[in-house]
Amino acid sequence: MKVIYLQQLLTQLKLLTNITMLKSLDPRVTRLNLPEGEMPPAEPKQELDQFETYEAFHQKKEGTAHTYVGPVHAPNEDVAFLFAKEQYSRRFPCVGLWIVRTENIMVTPYAGDQENVYDLMRLEEPAERSEQPEPYEIFHLKKRGKAHTHTGRVMATSYQEALHEARTQFGEKGPIVNVWVVKSKHVLQSAEEDKDMWTTIPEKKYREAIAYKVMDKITKYKEENKTTA
Amino acid sequence: MYGGGNVFEATKFDNLQTEDPAKLAEFEARIARGEKIEPNDWMPELYRKQLIRMIEQHAHSEIIGALPEGTWITRAPGFRRKMAQMAKVQDEVGHAQLLYSAAETLGKTREQMLTDLINGKSKYSNVFNYPAFTWADSNIISWLIDAGAIVNQMANAKGSYGPYSRALERICAEEAFHLKYGHDAVVHMATGTPKQREMIQAALNRWWPPIMTFFGPSDKMSTHTETLMRWKVKMASNDECRQQFLDMYVPKIWELGLTVPDPKLKKNMETGQWEYTEPDWDEFKRVINGDGPCNAERLAVRRTAEERGAWVRRALLNPKAKYVKPLA
Repeated sequence: MKVIYLQQLLTQLKLLTNITMLKSLDPRVTRLNLPEGEMPPAEPKQELDQFETYEAFHQKKEGTAHTYVGPVHAPNEDVAFLFAKEQYSRRFPCVGLWIVRTENIMVTPYAGDQENVYDLMRLEEPAERSEQPEPYEIFHLKKRGKAHTHTGRVMATSYQEALHEARTQFGEKGPIVNVWVVKSKHVLQSAEEDKDMWTTIPEKKYREAIAYKVMDKITKYKEENKTTA
Repeated sequence: MYGGGNVFEATKFDNLQTEDPAKLAEFEARIARGEKIEPNDWMPELYRKQLIRMIEQHAHSEIIGALPEGTWITRAPGFRRKMAQMAKVQDEVGHAQLLYSAAETLGKTREQMLTDLINGKSKYSNVFNYPAFTWADSNIISWLIDAGAIVNQMANAKGSYGPYSRALERICAEEAFHLKYGHDAVVHMATGTPKQREMIQAALNRWWPPIMTFFGPSDKMSTHTETLMRWKVKMASNDECRQQFLDMYVPKIWELGLTVPDPKLKKNMETGQWEYTEPDWDEFKRVINGDGPCNAERLAVRRTAEERGAWVRRALLNPKAKYVKPLA
């Protein structure tokens, strides 16, 4: 019969865990049971491991234009909406959100800050319309480094025609650095009846700088420690 | 929060002679006029490489920087502090997302950046290779590391690359909360019981040396650095950032009756410059190259998260998906 003593067993176990598991000050990390020591280099991530990209436009206040706020990576439009809501509306006032697949945005060349990009493009007069026109959304960038803002909607049968229309309707005033053109059907918009999803901000004062008032404590501390200082 | 201390070594792309002189002149004139560069503009290879490197390191710093503080969420004293700590950590991870996208507009995919992080090929702020032993360490990180980050980010927000500036504008707004939250937590400890004071002083003593290396070693002034400053990639020298940080925060540390563990630290009233013991740059180099107390753990945690989540991402992947880099 083979006898193994408890003490021996414990020592072995301890040796085993010491050798193979990464010990951390962080209990969560220890629970992950991470292997210790050199790991072989990770395989390069597969293409699209981080999904495709979507562009988000937020509306800061009722009645204002939707403005570009940044991209998100997501597996589909709905998840892109959720990610963008979390990423871009979590900390700032927001009453509406639009999502567009990056691929579905037509981008013109970029002009300088003093130029109007419509003047730099040769826009063909639209030919006879063979198809039914559909709505397109137009976004203008007024200054480099700023964000594209929704300028309005035009009816057209192609991106080129939409640009031509946009120039006629909105292209006259001031410098326009760049234009984005998107078919309206490619824009996922937050619904009017879901407005209450934007109302959580005021309950979370603990994540605002203004919630932290330290001067009273500092002043009190200084008063009390004047003589000892 | 952000790891500064970018070391802008010369690269083989330093040779501007290979660039088209007319395009280079146009590019430089645009920056000189105060206009931002947008992703589709022509840009010199050196500009692109340095920005990718800098923004990518910044993104990695946000995501790795969330780890030492994330550790303390479950053990934060009280519900309100747990909520605030959670909000802060969530902000940091959000910053990483914004920054990865900004770097992507320059042509490096998020997949490549994450692979380089996990394999130790790209760096992140060296301070996160040190552990947060106690709740007080977490408070010092929230206050002083974020303070350093803000000095850095405020400067970089005025840089010439549009997508990076846009991301930093949002990031700076959120950092204002982090700074106040961290300061509040430190003040709470420093004005509390003797035990609490002792804890916060011990944490400050542990974190001071890494904090002094946060902005990186003094820049070697070379034509390379001058070029990057002219292009508004590098907005302030490492020493300028360090001086500004000391100016803003040493008085705030002293007013709490805490001591800074550097007997040489004082402001020279004639030069207006702070004098201090030169940080241990050999240790800095050793740690940044992998041999610090937490390097292995930080990367192992990140790698495990990536590997264990891979099946979810594969399951969600739309077979018709096609990668297009973010627009701006």
